[in-house]
Amino acid sequence: MKKQSKEKKYMPEISQKEVQELRKTITTTSQQIIAENIRKMKKTDPNRPEAMKYFDEIADFTKREKEIRAAKQEGKKVIGYMCLFAPIELILAADAIPVRVNSGWYDASKLGDRVVPVEVCPMVRSTIGAKMIALSPYLELSDTLISALTCDGMTKLGEVLSDFKPVWAMTIPRVKDTAQSMRLWSEEIKVIRGQIEELTGNKIRGKQLKSAIELTQKATKAFRRLQELRKGPPVIMGRDAMLVNQTYMWDDIERWTEKTEALCDELEERISQKNWACPPDTPRVMLTGTPMIWPDNWKVPTLVEEANPQGILVADELCSGERLLYDPVGVDEWSMSDMLNAIAERYLMASTCPCFTSEDGNEDRINWLLNKIKEWNIQGVIYYVIRGCMLYAMEYTRVKKVMDSKGVPVYYLDTEYTREDVGQMKTRIEAFLEMLSARIDL
Amino acid sequence: MITAGLDLGTQSVKAVVVENGKVVSRSKAFSGFDPEKAAEKTLEEALKDANLSMSDVGHITATGSGMDMATNSNSTVSMMGADAKAGVQLFPNARTIIDVGAEEARAVKCDEKGIMMDFVVNERCAAGAGAFIEAMARALEVKLEDMGSLSLKAERASSINASCVIFGESDVVSLIHKQESKPEIARAIFEAMADRVSSMVHRLGVNPDVVLVGGVAKDIGFVTSLKRKLGVDILIPEYPEYIGAFGAALVAAKRLKKVQEK
Repeated sequence: MKKQSKEKKYMPEISQKEVQELRKTITTTSQQIIAENIRKMKKTDPNRPEAMKYFDEIADFTKREKEIRAAKQEGKKVIGYMCLFAPIELILAADAIPVRVNSGWYDASKLGDRVVPVEVCPMVRSTIGAKMIALSPYLELSDTLISALTCDGMTKLGEVLSDFKPVWAMTIPRVKDTAQSMRLWSEEIKVIRGQIEELTGNKIRGKQLKSAIELTQKATKAFRRLQELRKGPPVIMGRDAMLVNQTYMWDDIERWTEKTEALCDELEERISQKNWACPPDTPRVMLTGTPMIWPDNWKVPTLVEEANPQGILVADELCSGERLLYDPVGVDEWSMSDMLNAIAERYLMASTCPCFTSEDGNEDRINWLLNKIKEWNIQGVIYYVIRGCMLYAMEYTRVKKVMDSKGVPVYYLDTEYTREDVGQMKTRIEAFLEMLSARIDL
Repeated sequence: MITAGLDLGTQSVKAVVVENGKVVSRSKAFSGFDPEKAAEKTLEEALKDANLSMSDVGHITATGSGMDMATNSNSTVSMMGADAKAGVQLFPNARTIIDVGAEEARAVKCDEKGIMMDFVVNERCAAGAGAFIEAMARALEVKLEDMGSLSLKAERASSINASCVIFGESDVVSLIHKQESKPEIARAIFEAMADRVSSMVHRLGVNPDVVLVGGVAKDIGFVTSLKRKLGVDILIPEYPEYIGAFGAALVAAKRLKKVQEK
């Protein structure tokens, strides 16, 4: 492993005193926001599923932080990742812990402004800010980071974070379905495997890799079961399902799967009793666009489900949401080469990230959206873009055209990492939901 | 059946009293620091004008950015929903309603029943709204109400960047330094605003008939520029600043009827 040079490439000087103070303030705010979000979720659905208790506990980072810290003391390595191209199965097969480290803290983005201009994606600025004051437990606990070179922001984020930790960059081909793309990507997977083995000191063998794949397959199966249950009348509020979804980014995967299955059992029981989370004629909304990361960037889902008229989120196309685990690694033969190919294929082909293009545009994303609209009976789409995300902003025109041709209302909602615009966003979201209700009324 | 609509805008509060789809009275006041009270008083005044009392009103619907503050209302409707309803009531062939108020511009696409089908709102920037004209009138030392007629005297427009009020103002100052004439600068201001509003409307599609409402619809300078930019005729109601309140009163009537039918 290359030694890190001492000279910082990006980071400005910041006094330890200031770091301590900011860390204390933002951590306190973060705890309040976690409590507030959960309180609001309970208020929206006073009869919230019992099984959500577990996810509320994991949503407060401290429990899992302790567990990971203890595991590290026993010699386990922690590998952080930003985009959804880090092969989780290889990390697990080497007995290391995968955690996603994108920051959802609004206040941290202001710190990131000291390093990069405000035009840069707020999630990137916030992740930089979080690192400056050691805010994110998982980013701190990571021994190394996997940085997938997807959008421009992510490409440079890895570079900035390399001032603190080793960062492994993975080159993503921008066109998926060509032979040369797959060759490049398969090579990247092989290289990352070697890096993981070197860091952990554990050789990744067929047996371990098979059980790692089986583990994530089970998680995917549990998640798909939850998604299936959301096809019918609303049995769970969208925010609750989103929270289940997001905790996967840092929870113990085996336990997460167990708890998600238990939640599904409870929901099935409720379906049989026609015990709904909100009135069945509530307009059904899908979110698509830039990620919404717990705990701070929860404002849009909260506004939708607290609005008057109310909406319910039943599906999404977000890399902080369904995209995390909707697609399983599909293996035919459990040979090492087949397993590695299956992993390469899963991470590249299943992604609907707008960093991809092809002769037909980002066709996979369009198809995902259309499939969700049909199968989940979506009545309106909220297209969410955080300022600075050029790719999602540009692709809106295409998505809007397709949605118009299908008669599905779509609303473009642009925002920042800030709480100040909640009033304006509320006005827009309520107008959109009112429009959907008026259409249903007819 | 008598109903009322309240529009709690960013600068002023408007009340409209409606009987069987027709306006019987209207009233307006500054929002000030207590929009709740302003809304109450405005409605009282409108009722007094029509020789009615609060007990005659079957349903009150509030709209506008401060609609949640109207404690005397029975329900709320979005500004876009109210615009669509009122626009189609006044102009049955209206399919695009553009509303330019003090701080916000928006456009609504609607169907023949006045139901909103799609909408866009300007991206949190006052350069496409009335406050921009106010700020620019100050910079030009011209009365706000004279800006429109002044701009019509210009043979050409200077060019300014209306990406935001602050930058717009510094552009205007540099035009003043270049000794460009006031009419040309005034026209530049309206052209820049109309540019922003028209590109917003184009994202929605320009479906005729196009109706312009909101306080800025009274400004001949803006209307002339917007017509030029959109390339279509623009219909303007007699009291464009009361459209939100009127639409809310119509929604109130619909809701009252629904309740009575039950």
